[in-house]
Amino acid sequence: MDYYLKTSKLSVGYNGKPIVKDIEFGVGKGEILTLIGPNGSGKSTILKSITRQLEVVSGTVFIGENDLKDINYKDMAKKVSVLLTERVRPELLTCYDVVALGRYPYTGKMGILGKEDEKIIYESMEMVGILSLKNRDFQKLSDGQKQRVLLARAICQKPEVLVLDEPTSYLDIKYKIELLEVLKRMAKTEKVAVILSLHEIELAGKISDKVLCVKGENISCYGTPKEVFKKSIIMDLFDIDEDAFKMYFSKVDFYE
Amino acid sequence: MVKKDNSINFEKHSTKSKIRYSFFFVFMLILFIIITILNINIGSVDISVPDIFKIIFLREGEKGYYNIIWHIRLPRICMAAILGGALSLSGLLLQIFFNNPIAGPYILGISSGAKMVVALTLVFFLERFGRVSSISLVIAAFAGSMLSIAFILVLSRYIKSMSVLIIGGIMINYICSAITDFIITFASDLDIINLHGWSLGSFSASNWRDVFIAFVIVTITSIIIFILAKPISAFLLGEAYAKSVGVNIRVFRVVLILLSSVLSACVTAFAGPISFVGIAVPHLIKRGLRTSKPIIVIPACFIGGSIFCMVCDLIARTAFSPTELNISTVTAVFGAPIVIAMLIKGSKRE
Repeated sequence: MDYYLKTSKLSVGYNGKPIVKDIEFGVGKGEILTLIGPNGSGKSTILKSITRQLEVVSGTVFIGENDLKDINYKDMAKKVSVLLTERVRPELLTCYDVVALGRYPYTGKMGILGKEDEKIIYESMEMVGILSLKNRDFQKLSDGQKQRVLLARAICQKPEVLVLDEPTSYLDIKYKIELLEVLKRMAKTEKVAVILSLHEIELAGKISDKVLCVKGENISCYGTPKEVFKKSIIMDLFDIDEDAFKMYFSKVDFYE
Repeated sequence: MVKKDNSINFEKHSTKSKIRYSFFFVFMLILFIIITILNINIGSVDISVPDIFKIIFLREGEKGYYNIIWHIRLPRICMAAILGGALSLSGLLLQIFFNNPIAGPYILGISSGAKMVVALTLVFFLERFGRVSSISLVIAAFAGSMLSIAFILVLSRYIKSMSVLIIGGIMINYICSAITDFIITFASDLDIINLHGWSLGSFSASNWRDVFIAFVIVTITSIIIFILAKPISAFLLGEAYAKSVGVNIRVFRVVLILLSSVLSACVTAFAGPISFVGIAVPHLIKRGLRTSKPIIVIPACFIGGSIFCMVCDLIARTAFSPTELNISTVTAVFGAPIVIAMLIKGSKRE
């Protein structure tokens, strides 16, 4: 398999101090990679580093043929789009306006949208199912709706890699599943490489082609869901004992 | 079928807002013209509208009226229009920079920093050389603005809450005003007359030379800001998203702060610190247009600031004539309630 985004001996952290070391993974176009692990384990730090929000401490990230460091900001924006956890509070912008900001790398000097841009904005909104919200004030939406608008924004940036930091956080179960469906579709039909972090490991198993377990200093496990979702690995990853594991997981299985 | 319907809807939506924007701009333009004429018309001597047109366009008419219009009222009106626009734009940029609608050059202590350094410069130059050029005042004001901004930026590293940051700005305000008062107290008599009126804010001492200098500085800066409407729009979703669509954040942050400082420094150098315009006008404009898209809001804020300051100056001149009010007295009366309303609305949402 040809990887579109891959890392080699990557260390990530803040101010030159590594939090997670020796990260090795690769994602091909059309694949979904999910990062799982306890809170504060460094999932966000990894995602920020491969999207250049954070400086890489050491090692390399490759996008296509190029080292991340050698790609200029403009080209980077056409290759990678993001959905972040940070709250955005734009004043008096409609959902359409917010989504349209994703066309930024493609518009001219004054940022005026062409017919083609408008079409793509429309398609992106339709894909996420927020077309009916297009004239609503973004600030007045629920958290879940906001999250979907921001996802449409990321999609209309027409990336080759889509990076999402805990995209399901504010969503209720219906939208969680819908969002993951959208990601699956994006990956398969548009041939986008999707990298995301998730708290819901039961969902991670269903959509991912590969799973990366992040815990403390090193990557504790990396492989297909079949390889990763084993009782011992999960118990170790989240520091839970047999009883806790059973309480959380077997119950779900029981009702299924 | 469904898709087609949507696109028709969209066309409708987009023309609807285009009509709104056009109406708004036409409305402001008419308001601008009316307030300009009123401003020339009203004063200690009232000059009739036909006379005004004769004097301005044909350059003929009674000598006394001619002098009043060309040497007193017109430069003052131009100054109010230019600096009002500058102030409003400066506020808008700070609001985008701090991602908060109650940021502004006055409330963050930037105007006071400029005031302090200008006062120092005035006293220094007047004592040594007996005169001081407008350009050096602008430079002094710019230096003062940068001083306050540097302080605010350092604070903003540690203080994430905007309301606390604004309290920091108010403290800067007090410190700078204290130093300015100190300078005024110990300056020689002649300087005080100059300083005192100016440090409270007024357009009264405007002349054509200053108008020209202000015009050049403000026009160039405003055009640059308008050209930067696109990266500014990316900033609306915060720095991280701006970075992710290809904005060079490090450079752009500096540019944004510099442009905002040049504008507010220019205002302080020529008219002294003027309160609330930088917050109230952008707020009213955004509400009126129902958008905060920079490409529309930037020019609208400029015209809005011009109108606001011309109205306030007219009131300052005429309300208790022959006594003149400080311009800040009037802008505060109109601006402060708007800011309070914004605070109440903002805290309700949270």
